Amino acid sequence: MTGVPSDRQQRLDRHALVMAVWLPAAFVAAVLFHHGFGPGGVWWLMGGFAVVLAGFVAHVIVNAILGTDFTLREVALGLFAFALAALALVLAVLLTPGFAAVFFWPTALGLVALAIAVVTYMVIRFGPRAAFERFDIIRDNNPRRASRLPHRGGRA
Amino acid sequence: MTFLIVAALGLLAAYALYIAALTARAGTPLLDGGADIPGWAAMFTAAGVMVAGPGLADHLNLVSRFGLQAVHPAMGLVPGAMAGLVVHKRLWVAARIAGMTSPGEALGRYYGSVTLRVVVLTLAILFALPFSAHLLSGTGQIVATATDGAVPRAVAVWVLAFFLFLPAVIGGWRASVLVFAMQAVLLAALFGAITTFAEGTLAAPGFLTTGIPVAEGILHDRLPGVIQNSAGIGKEAAQGGIFTAVGILSSALVFVGIALSPGMLFLGQTTAPGRSKGFGAVWLTAGLGGVALLVLLPLLAARPTLAADLVAAEPLAAVGLILLFVTAGQLAVAFFTTSGTLIVTRELILPFIVPGLSAWGERLAARIALAVAYATLATLAAFAPLFSAVFGSMAIPFAVQLLPALLGLCFVRWISRAAVIAGLVFGLVLVTFTEPPGLILFEGLFLDLPWGRWPLTIHSAAWGLAFNLGVVLLASVFTARGVERAHRDRLHDEFFARWAVPQPRGNGRTALWSLTLIWAFFAMGPGAILGNSFFSRPIFTETEAALGLPSLWVWQILFWLAGCALVWWLAHRAHLGRIDATLLRRIDLPDPAITRDPARAPDWIAAGLARLTREVR
Repeated sequence: MTGVPSDRQQRLDRHALVMAVWLPAAFVAAVLFHHGFGPGGVWWLMGGFAVVLAGFVAHVIVNAILGTDFTLREVALGLFAFALAALALVLAVLLTPGFAAVFFWPTALGLVALAIAVVTYMVIRFGPRAAFERFDIIRDNNPRRASRLPHRGGRA
Repeated sequence: MTFLIVAALGLLAAYALYIAALTARAGTPLLDGGADIPGWAAMFTAAGVMVAGPGLADHLNLVSRFGLQAVHPAMGLVPGAMAGLVVHKRLWVAARIAGMTSPGEALGRYYGSVTLRVVVLTLAILFALPFSAHLLSGTGQIVATATDGAVPRAVAVWVLAFFLFLPAVIGGWRASVLVFAMQAVLLAALFGAITTFAEGTLAAPGFLTTGIPVAEGILHDRLPGVIQNSAGIGKEAAQGGIFTAVGILSSALVFVGIALSPGMLFLGQTTAPGRSKGFGAVWLTAGLGGVALLVLLPLLAARPTLAADLVAAEPLAAVGLILLFVTAGQLAVAFFTTSGTLIVTRELILPFIVPGLSAWGERLAARIALAVAYATLATLAAFAPLFSAVFGSMAIPFAVQLLPALLGLCFVRWISRAAVIAGLVFGLVLVTFTEPPGLILFEGLFLDLPWGRWPLTIHSAAWGLAFNLGVVLLASVFTARGVERAHRDRLHDEFFARWAVPQPRGNGRTALWSLTLIWAFFAMGPGAILGNSFFSRPIFTETEAALGLPSLWVWQILFWLAGCALVWWLAHRAHLGRIDATLLRRIDLPDPAITRDPARAPDWIAAGLARLTREVR
């Protein structure tokens, strides 16, 4: 009766868990953002960012418990959503009169807080050097063999 | 508003289909999900079903009508979590070591009784059809009301049933549980978010300023006595409300009934080993469930115009409120219907009606059974809501009557088959005659009975269980050493050899049970009456304390926290929340009631089928 779950099944279980974290968080965050940008004001907006942050922390906990890491798709989706939010902020500041005066700082601070959370996670998870290397495209393209020495990162 | 509600429900349905499709592509067994449902999904599902199973909207309605006295039965989450811990681990072990893969088979084979198999199947059908139809009907009504009739109740019922059916039929048990888990997390998030939002934005006075507004004559912040000499609902109105202290103690059994329902037992049997049972019972069922029903629900119930106020303040929050109750309904309906159908398929259809099917044939049979079950469910919910409400009312009290049988299987080897069946007969009869079906039928056919529903303000589950336990104890005195004792001992010897509950050092064991009984007495038994004024007019003083909160609410919260500690003790100190699969050792436990070929259908089923097929020809 007891079966050993296949890799595919384990991936699916993890995916379902991650979705179970993010779907409710996304809905609650949407309510808070909608109210924050409407009649609610700055504190509700910050509440929305807090919920997104809580979702991220829960995702990290899931990874820690299951011994996994963010998948490529999750990273891509996260970066896309973050870029979209930043773009939306810039467009709103440029095109919506009065937006910048009320919402620029709270929104920008929220986005920065999310970025800091991600960087903090990476530093804790991988260490400062490895975390930096994940963005170090320049050295990836460095043809010199010295750049691949162990004490300089040891890339293959 | 209608568009937002339909869009939100559509998104949830799309998510369920997505997970079901992925599960189907992974090749997971349809009937039991490979019997290794991930622990996280099982624990969220169990907690969600415990909160949503009794009917969240109905519960809110009761709290709105009766105030804090109606909140108090939610303390039953603690005994519910305890019952789950006590039963589920041993049942899981029995499933693995003796191949008892579903609850009916486990009880039937252990006691060597076909009657017990039939009782469990009947219970599974009661939960899957009338009980779930009642919940679905209520959920359809919520959608119809929220959309101002743009989506009529019957349409909502059929559409909801169809989109609950699809994930079950595509992905089977595993996909269903993964979806239930997400719905349970959503419930928890919405409960917290909507309550916080309402308290933070709405100007109308709430629970903390005015309490729960109830009709005149109802005590909104006190229990109306320890017990009342009331003939019961439908015959005589109890003074000050129906939730007396004894009424609360008996109503708390509802959560035990949910924990012992065939669907929950099946979930427990098909879960992967690990620590999830303990974590789920302590932190989710007793913990988070208690936060929702004991702390947050009164805040929502105190606002009679909550939905309208939320629409005015933030339409998305109003959608969240609707989603909260619709998701709770969907979760409970899909859980009981899918699990009940799969149990009936495993225990009746595959072994007895169409034995010898290939794996493909078994999947097809399960899918046809699911289609029939959901079509019947939708028909009942759409066209026979009263019938569903009347007959569904018996499901939970009936499930509570399984307690002696399950205790016998899990721990008490001297409980015999004869004792269990005699107790069940008494318990089921008592429940039937203290719930609407028995009362309506008897009074319609013969004469008026002097009592109504829940006489003396005692819930039908408690009436049944009291007689059931009494008969079981009495009958066991005479039958404990019957001829089938050796058969029962084989399972218990294995439990004792490898799965014994560690004995706490010193007087720990006595302390655990003594504390539990003392807790039950004060938390939800006669001692709970002290909570009426314990914190507002403290004893030994003449002064009144300006607490700012109802004394009863503080009492409820404090004893709920103490109850969580007891569940933790049971889960972790008694090791009932942890399963170590390395200890498994297969034993042979044949069913003494079935001495012939187990794959052969019973003669009466075979004869019935033959007659039916002859007539068709």
